[in-house]
Parts: sequence; structure tokens; C-alpha cells
Amino acid sequence: MRSRSANAKVHSHLNRQGRAAHVFLIPWQLGFLLITAVPLFASLYLAFTNYDILNPPEWTGLENFQRMIHDDQFWASVKVTLIYVVVSVPLQLGFALLLALILDRGLSGLAFYRSAFYLPSLLGSSVAIAILWREIFGDDGLINKGLALIGIHGESWLQNPKTALATLIVLNVWTFGSPMVIFLAGLRQIPDELYEAAKVDGAGVWRQFTHVTVPLLTPIIFFNLILQTIGAFQTFTQAHIISGGTGGPANSTLFYTLYVYQQGFVAFDMGYASALAWVLMVAIAVVTALHFLVSKYWVFYGDS
Amino acid sequence: MDRRGFLKLSLATGLSAATVATAAGCSGGSGGPSGDGGNVTLRYAWWGNNIRQQNYTKALKQFSTANPSIAIEPEFAEYTAFQERMTTQIAARDVPDIFWIASPQVMTYHKSKLYRKLDDIPTLNWGDYSKEDQETFKLAGELNTLPFAIFTPVIRYNETVTKADGVTIPAEGPGWTWDSLAELLIAYSKNNSGQRKGTPYAPDHDLTFEAWLRQRGEQLWTEDGRAGFTVDGLASWLDWWEKLRKAGGALSLSEQEGMGPDWAQVGKKVLVNFGNSNHIIDDAKMFPKEKFRLRAAPIAPTAAAGHKYLYFPRMAIYQRIDDANLEAAGKVLDYNANNPEMLKTVRLTMGAPTNPKVAEQAKAFASPDEKEMLAVVEKERAAERKPRYEAPPGSSTWRTTMTRICEEIALGKTSVPDGAKKLLDDVNAGIKRAA
Repeated sequence: MRSRSANAKVHSHLNRQGRAAHVFLIPWQLGFLLITAVPLFASLYLAFTNYDILNPPEWTGLENFQRMIHDDQFWASVKVTLIYVVVSVPLQLGFALLLALILDRGLSGLAFYRSAFYLPSLLGSSVAIAILWREIFGDDGLINKGLALIGIHGESWLQNPKTALATLIVLNVWTFGSPMVIFLAGLRQIPDELYEAAKVDGAGVWRQFTHVTVPLLTPIIFFNLILQTIGAFQTFTQAHIISGGTGGPANSTLFYTLYVYQQGFVAFDMGYASALAWVLMVAIAVVTALHFLVSKYWVFYGDS
Repeated sequence: MDRRGFLKLSLATGLSAATVATAAGCSGGSGGPSGDGGNVTLRYAWWGNNIRQQNYTKALKQFSTANPSIAIEPEFAEYTAFQERMTTQIAARDVPDIFWIASPQVMTYHKSKLYRKLDDIPTLNWGDYSKEDQETFKLAGELNTLPFAIFTPVIRYNETVTKADGVTIPAEGPGWTWDSLAELLIAYSKNNSGQRKGTPYAPDHDLTFEAWLRQRGEQLWTEDGRAGFTVDGLASWLDWWEKLRKAGGALSLSEQEGMGPDWAQVGKKVLVNFGNSNHIIDDAKMFPKEKFRLRAAPIAPTAAAGHKYLYFPRMAIYQRIDDANLEAAGKVLDYNANNPEMLKTVRLTMGAPTNPKVAEQAKAFASPDEKEMLAVVEKERAAERKPRYEAPPGSSTWRTTMTRICEEIALGKTSVPDGAKKLLDDVNAGIKRAA
């Protein structure tokens, strides 16, 4: 009896805690419902309509999705985004890991360097970057001035379709601060004993890196990979600022999200923009699922 | 307070807040408080740069000082952001009482029945406008927007540089043609002390493109809401620019850092610019030591009669405005279009006044650049003009598409005939979707 009564008390206590939790969660739940869930499902409906915001949506079935097949701009944006994801994410992660390894070697003034390297992550989407990038990569920019010193006349890197995307990849790599901080935290979790044991076994710096650091860091690499890949698919601000919202020159910086924005908020073709957004969501979900599937072959969790 | 009490209080507070939020959401914000003891609050939305924002805010305050029963809430934004905000406001039925209308949206808003008719508001005086003027202001036969200024397509040239380099810009008349302009720009680019080019690359400038079309006997839009130009008409314009660009008469995309160059950056690199007559007022200020002059767009020897035209920026009163606020809104519109006092504060950055009496009065306080603009517009206004029609619903992105096509042509990604066809197909598809 005593035990049953104690159980009931614990149960009642948990119930009260559960109710309290629900009350505290109300603001978030309301926010989720009104700001995320309702617009999400509304956009799913709109994806099957012709909707210009000013007039009621008109059901068109799969027309918006069929339109994508013949839409040159859509394919251009897919190509730009895929190149960007495939090139910039590994480069950024590699650079972030390299810097994290250097900082992990116990430099003096670590806090300063950590902050300094993190700073570009905060600036990466600001208007100041558009000005800075023009000063560096523009027709009269720093790079061309440097090239002029050795007799080379360079054109604007931002206005050449062959180099414009590369400048945005450089920008993304430059904003390596966020993954670097996460790598740094991961490196701090690797026990020193493992390095000492490796040294005793005769492992040099490279073997320690490939046989101790990398395997134990794979969960962190995986985490960063997922985050940065999703982020790269959703890249918008940098391209919008630097191309002035056009995705130019000649669609070379027409990122997928920029195209969604152009359709939704410039052309006010909200039905088509919703369909485009859902295609992106599905694409990201598929790529993320593939990452998880493949992860079991290369991600090493200590307990497995 | 025990935990139970705290939970109850939290829940009650949360529910109250939600109720208030819901109620507030349902009530909407359109129209603002009105008719309370004769006091009226009106929302006034416009676009521009920060100088225009300051000037108009000041002018609207002056209006409220002179009319203490009418308060005005200003709603300002940059041009593109203004259109985005208007669209979301329209969707939410939260439209400002008085708003400017961006050119691509004039007929789109008309189709959405956003405009209230303006010919029955006693506080808005149409007496200064001729019958002919009023006819040209109408949209689909209705006087429901107020054209409050005029601008025209022009070639703006740097007189200081022409004098220094010994260049003569032909006077308007038989010698002022597109061909003579192209020859001058190419020759100048090849030989001038400042290594300037003739002009920025600007085939996407809409007003001069429209001037070109009308001289060919075509038009930008038809009365029944279709594209009024042919692939050949568009291609001839793009071809003129392509010849100029290839001959070195215009800046390269690299030199001007892309399409739609920043005048502050390229102003020092060129002799002339293709623009709207009103642009001289803000643009000339960026080079205060230099003097700029205007010429009307060149004229082809075979130009069709009545090709000249005026472009009107328009403002309107929201269809759903509270009746109690209507006369006050009419008074604000009257102040904008028929009162020279406002122009003394806001200046003439939006163009020459549409009201002929005010245009005349403005000469007394206009700056030299403003006088230059007024003179060009006055001449165009006196010319024979065939009707001009606004962009139909579904065509709002034609300028963006044109810019993209011009860029592709300059980069060798597409040919002139293909680009012209692509643009027209795109315009037609947009109009068809919106129909």
C-alpha cells in the first residue's frame, strides 16, 4: 500500500510537472503553429495554385511543377546551387578544421584568435560585405590593382560569369568561424591518452591525425557537414547583396533561394514560388537522408 | 503564490494575451483612427532615397501644421521594398490611405480595384487641368489616380567635360538623331583626354526604349493590355546598343560593375547618360563642380507623328478609405499636386509639376538643374502626342527580364534576335498568366 501511494504521489508530481511544462511551452507552440506550421501547409496548398497575392489563389494542379521542367532560370539556379554546395562546403569545412587544429595546439591569445576568426561569420550576410567584395574583386579592386603591378589587366571578377560564383565561394569559405568553433570543442574532447598511446606505438603527427583525430572527430565532422550543407542549399543573402538581387551576371550567381525570392516577391508569382520552395525542401530532405545513410560507413561513435 | 496559483495565473495571462492578439489581428489597421471629433489620421506611403524621405516627411508635417485636424502617418521605403510592402499590405487589406504607385503596378492595382475615383472629392481641385489633360490621366476611362509629376526620356550630358574636350552635342533638330549620337559617342570614346567612354551601357533604360519604339510607330503597351512592340522593334533597339558597345562607345559591364550602374561610380567615366528628365536633380549633386545639361531623346529621321510622350508618376486614394477621411485625403492630394508650397520643401526630384499653373510658379524658385528639367518637359508637353498606355497586369517584371537579356547579349550568351524573342515571349507569358 505504501508503495502504491508513493507511486501515485510520484505520478501526480510528474503530471503537475507535465502541465507546467505545457504552460511554459505555450508561447513556443503558438509561435510554431502560427509562424511555421500554418504558413508551411498554406504554401503546400499554394504550390498547386496560380496565386499573385492580390487575387484569390486559383487551383492549377501540377502546372507549377510542370512549368519547372521548361524553365531555363530554374535549371540555372539548380546548377549554381549544386556547384556551390559541392565546392564550398568541403572547402569551408577543411579550412575550419585546419584552423581549429592550429588553434588547438595551445597558442597564446587563443581567445583573441577564436573571436577574430569567428568575426567573418557574423559579417558574411551584411551589406558591408557587398562593398568590401566590390573593393576587392571589382574592376578597380585590390586584386586587379595587384595584377596591374605585374602588367596584367584584369576585369571585374564580380561581373564575369566565369568568376562571379567563385567570389561567393570564397566568401563562404571565409565565414568558417562557426564550424571552426565546433571543431575546436570536438578536438578538446579527444583524450590525451590516445595520442600518448599512439606516440608510444611510433605514430607520427600525420598518423596521429588520420588514426586518432579524424576517427574521433567524425561525429563532429558529420554534424558540421549536415549543418553547412543545409545552409549552403539555402544561401541567399550573399548572392542577393553582391548581385543586387539579379543573380547575375548571366545567372551565374542565381542561387535557388534567390530565384524563389524573385518569383515570390518580385514577380509576385507566389504559387510558383511555393512549388519551388517545396522542391527545395524535398531535395534537402533527400540529401540529408543520404548523408545519414552513408554516415554508418564512416562516422565513428565511441560506443559502437 | 504556490505553484498551482502560478500556473493558473500564467494560463490566464497567456489566454488574455492570445485573446488580445487575436482581437487586434481581426480588427486590422487599415484607415487608421478617423472622424473622432473632426480629427483625422491618414497613412501616406511613398518611395525614394533618404533625402526624399526627409523632404516629404517635413512637407507632410508642414501640411499637418497648416491643417491641425489632419495628422499624417508617413510610410516610406526604398522603391523595390515599397512594392513588396504594398503587395503584402494589399493581401492583408492594410493598404495606406494615400499611396504612390510604382509604374509596373499601375494596371495591376487597377485590376485589383485598389483605387477610389477622384473626380467627386470636393477638396481635390481639377480646375487647373484641361479636359485633354484629364483624359490622358484616366485609366480605362476612370479618373482614379492623380498624376502628380511628369518626366520624359532624355540624354543628359556633362557640359563641363564637353567644353574641356571641345565636343559639341548637336542641338535638337534634324542633326539630333540616334545615328548622329552613336557616331559622336564612338568618336569621343576613341579620343578624349580623360579616357572617358561615351555612355554607360543602358539598353534597359525603359523610357528611352519607349521613345525608340514610338518613333518606329510601335508602343510599349496597347490599350487592351498587350505588348505593343514586335521582336523586330525590340531587336532594332538592342542592335543599336550592340553596335555602340562593340565600337567602344559604351562602358563594358566590367567597367560599370554590372547592369544598372551606380551613377556616383560611373559619372566620372562617361560623357552622357540615358535617363529620365528628373534624374538630373539628384545625379548632378554627386558632381557639384560639373554642369549637366539635358537634351530630349534623339529623333529618327523617319519618326512617326505623335511619338513624343510624357510619363506620369501617380498617386491614389485607397478604395476602402473611411468615408469620414475622404475629404482630408483629397486635401492631401491637392497639396501634393496643386500647391507650389509643398514643392519648395520637397523640390522637383519627382519631375515637373503636372498642374500647368504650378509648373509655371515653380520656375520662380527652381534651382538651375530644376529649371533645365522644367524646360525640357515644357517643350515635350507642347508637342503632339499619341496616347500612352500603362503596363498591363502580369508584366511587372519586364524590366528585370530586359536587364537580364541585355546582360546576356553583352556577355555573348545570346544573340540580339534570340534575346528579343525571349523577352517578348516572357512578357506575353506573364500577361497570359495574369489574365
